[in-house]
Amino acid sequence: MAIKFGGEFEIKRTPEDVYDFLTDPNRFAPLLPDFQGMTQQDQTHFTVKVNVGISYIKGAADMKMELSQAERPKRAQYKGQGSAAGGKVAMTAGFDLVPAGSGTKVVWQGEAQVFGALASVAGGLLEPLGKKNVQKLIDGLQTALS
Amino acid sequence: MSSAEDTNNWVGKSLPRKEENRLLRGRGKFADDIKLRAMLYLRFVRSPYAHARIVSLDTSAAEVLPGVACVLTGAEIAKTTQPFIEIGPDPFAKIKDYPLAVSKVRYQGEPVAAVVAESPAEADDAAELVQSEYEALDPVVDAEKALEDKSLLHEDVGTNRVWNGVFEYGDVEGAFKEAAYVVNIDRLHFHRFSSTPLENNVVIAQWNPKDERIYYQCNNSFPSFAIQFLAAHLGVHIDRIRVETSDIGGSFGIKITSYPQMAVCALASKKAGGRPVKWVETRSEHITSSAHGNERTFRDTRVALDKNGVITALVSRHIDDCGAYPRYEPLGCVIWSQVFPGVYRFKNARIDFSQAVTNKCPVGPNRGYSRMQHLWFLERIVDICAHKIGIAADEMRLRNYILPEEFPYTTPNGCVYDSGNYPKMLQVAKSLFGWDDWKIKQAAARKEGRLIGIGIGTTLDSGTNNFGQSQIVNPFLPYSGNSQGANCKLDIYGEVVLAVGSCPQGQGHETTAAQVVADVLNVHPDLITVRTGFDTERNVHTGFSGTYASQFAVSGLSAVHGAAQKLKSEIKRLAAFALNTKEDDLEFGSGAQGPEIRAKSSGKSINYWGLSNLVNANSASLPSDLYEITLNCRYVWRAPFKVPDTKKKYGSLTLTYASQLHVAVVEVERDTFIPRILDYVAVDDCGTVINPSIVEGQVYGATAHGIGAAVMENCVYDAVGNMLTSTFSDYTPITAMNMPKVKYGHIETPSPHSYSGAKGMGEGGAAPIHTISAALQDALFANDIIIEDSFNNADSLFRAMAAKEIRHVVSIEKRI
Repeated sequence: MAIKFGGEFEIKRTPEDVYDFLTDPNRFAPLLPDFQGMTQQDQTHFTVKVNVGISYIKGAADMKMELSQAERPKRAQYKGQGSAAGGKVAMTAGFDLVPAGSGTKVVWQGEAQVFGALASVAGGLLEPLGKKNVQKLIDGLQTALS
Repeated sequence: MSSAEDTNNWVGKSLPRKEENRLLRGRGKFADDIKLRAMLYLRFVRSPYAHARIVSLDTSAAEVLPGVACVLTGAEIAKTTQPFIEIGPDPFAKIKDYPLAVSKVRYQGEPVAAVVAESPAEADDAAELVQSEYEALDPVVDAEKALEDKSLLHEDVGTNRVWNGVFEYGDVEGAFKEAAYVVNIDRLHFHRFSSTPLENNVVIAQWNPKDERIYYQCNNSFPSFAIQFLAAHLGVHIDRIRVETSDIGGSFGIKITSYPQMAVCALASKKAGGRPVKWVETRSEHITSSAHGNERTFRDTRVALDKNGVITALVSRHIDDCGAYPRYEPLGCVIWSQVFPGVYRFKNARIDFSQAVTNKCPVGPNRGYSRMQHLWFLERIVDICAHKIGIAADEMRLRNYILPEEFPYTTPNGCVYDSGNYPKMLQVAKSLFGWDDWKIKQAAARKEGRLIGIGIGTTLDSGTNNFGQSQIVNPFLPYSGNSQGANCKLDIYGEVVLAVGSCPQGQGHETTAAQVVADVLNVHPDLITVRTGFDTERNVHTGFSGTYASQFAVSGLSAVHGAAQKLKSEIKRLAAFALNTKEDDLEFGSGAQGPEIRAKSSGKSINYWGLSNLVNANSASLPSDLYEITLNCRYVWRAPFKVPDTKKKYGSLTLTYASQLHVAVVEVERDTFIPRILDYVAVDDCGTVINPSIVEGQVYGATAHGIGAAVMENCVYDAVGNMLTSTFSDYTPITAMNMPKVKYGHIETPSPHSYSGAKGMGEGGAAPIHTISAALQDALFANDIIIEDSFNNADSLFRAMAAKEIRHVVSIEKRI
């Protein structure tokens, strides 16, 4: 089951500032919905623990994240995968940074693939839930950068 | 042994089922009722991915959890066992099918590890501690795409194509040249569904370390097949495997392929020091991972017809989807050809048949196995052609049916249809249905804008296979013919005890077998004790024993009849000695002391206890020339088959052909698109009926199964192979609440191929699927909609009707 998401917003910070924020796991990861904690392996690899819950399926997920594309100050992309509640999740999330006057236009897009019982049992709920959580992340990002 | 001596009082009567007394009081014994001392419980860890490489599998946390006895992985099993036997020829014979995935998973829900613990809860907890890491691979969930071989499931094989063969008969090109009409159908699709028996799979296995014997108590429905696979896989002699089944809560063929789970339970028992290991499948496991029915796509179909709408030739390309592992396949690649022309007379045909593996649950021989897909295809063709040419559906069938006077009828591929009368079935159905009244009501409803269709489905239930057809898919297979065993004896106290090699799951074998024996011995069926359920140690079974493929009425009861006749013959010899008379002076009956034999001349009699005593407990008076009498008579019935011509794909593939004709009125609601059944008739012909109420019950069951498949039950996968219908909430099996009232009728055309005239039945040929598709076609043809799929619920009908562009999947060439 693939959930695709994307959008854009503008912010009054330079592309360099935005890029530095996005590529710093210590600042970026806590914005993930239901963030519980993080351990960083190196500059580009970290593992976040997040709570997941869909109806009666509840649990914690360890997501292994990798900063897979880093082109300062134009683009940052994360890849991640993890296990949650009888299923596996693989995701990519990319941010293209375009100068916009004195600020930056952030064009974001991504895709999450869900495998296993999580998709089988809760498939119909995943897309709205995923979109809600992505929106939370973007809202948090906008707040943090404003 | 002549049947002329049979009294035939009980066969043909609606005797209440002997099983009811036990089952309706809750006194049945099912596999999950069995609790053994020191029993352990097994839980599978399953793959979330449809297609992935196993990067790591860490079982250490599970192994140290209190209560855990052992953990098994595929890598461990692969070191000590052989891959399961493959039925198919090279290159698919190279496939390595183990009961736990070794290095790669190929469908969501495939087991990768098994955790064994003191309690089911501890096994559940431990299973959650198994850590797995996968590298996802491109999944293939469409059989046609699988044939492109872009992503291989089994790299050692080098292709996803399991089997391919062309079935060609007659003068196809000549028939097309002379055709008045040619109808082209781009694509038809038979969907994937499964059965939902009340009881899921259950296995209890004990590998005794003292004598290296394995004892299974389970609900596998074809144990003689399972033990052949298990013995080779586990590396033990087949005689060391005992399989015992008791009451079974439905199988519908799905439980035939539980041998991989049986293997894991045995290996777990061995690892746990010989303690018995029990596995009880959950409903979601059953839906996602046991077995599904075959999905099939029909491509590039061309139908030639004469000016009267008589089909003269057919060309098509069929692609069957068998899921991730073939297992019982590729037998389905030939089994459909048992009903090659369906109930129709066309002689010229070419069908190119392929089967592919996909990243979906493996298939199993589900009720109506392989034939229902083909019969649905033929019925779709008949209806589409009828609509396109403008011939009424009933008239179209009458013009194309094999006629009663043509039986026994040899099909283009050499099958011999034993008997039948399809026009009469249509007549009976129309009469029960009120055909003319419904036509008037339909016309009036259509004027009101209502979408009402009337559909006919005529279908076949071929029973008692010639296993020689397996050599058409693989000439090196050592199977042919068919056989079944039974044992009929007088025990030491003179009780008539019958053992059969079947494992009934609701078919009433206990009752029908008793009816047959009662007629032979002229006693009441209540005096016959029938040991049902399979047990290798009863020494009754043959290599084909089990319950599947609509064969008990022929193979099972023929064996029962033979064993009873053999016993009767011994009783006569013994009684003639005991009563000092000749055998033709004896008559069978019951007296004050139960069943007995009487001398008509003297009036003297001896009861069964007395006879048995002469052989078993008081034998000093027995003359030596009667020593060969055991009163313990095993009889093996063998079907009179020859091995088919494997090159021409020609020969008799099945012994009997029961037929069904269903008629339905279906309305598609304008606002909700829900297909509602307004009226339903089922007419059955299974030859001579052994027990009418059991036959009627089977017809209702098969009808419910087919209606569920037609409008409610569908195995839905997403693009990456997640099964989205893994619970009853999503799979929505049919219940009594969804069943329409079914009007039942029957005719009898006795089979010349069975001793009693009976034909195997029970699968129903999936008649409702054909019938509902036909009714929907009739309802929606005016809207330019062709029913392309066997599954039609409100959602799919909405999509078809709301589509901006009509899909033109059918075209017609008129040459007159």
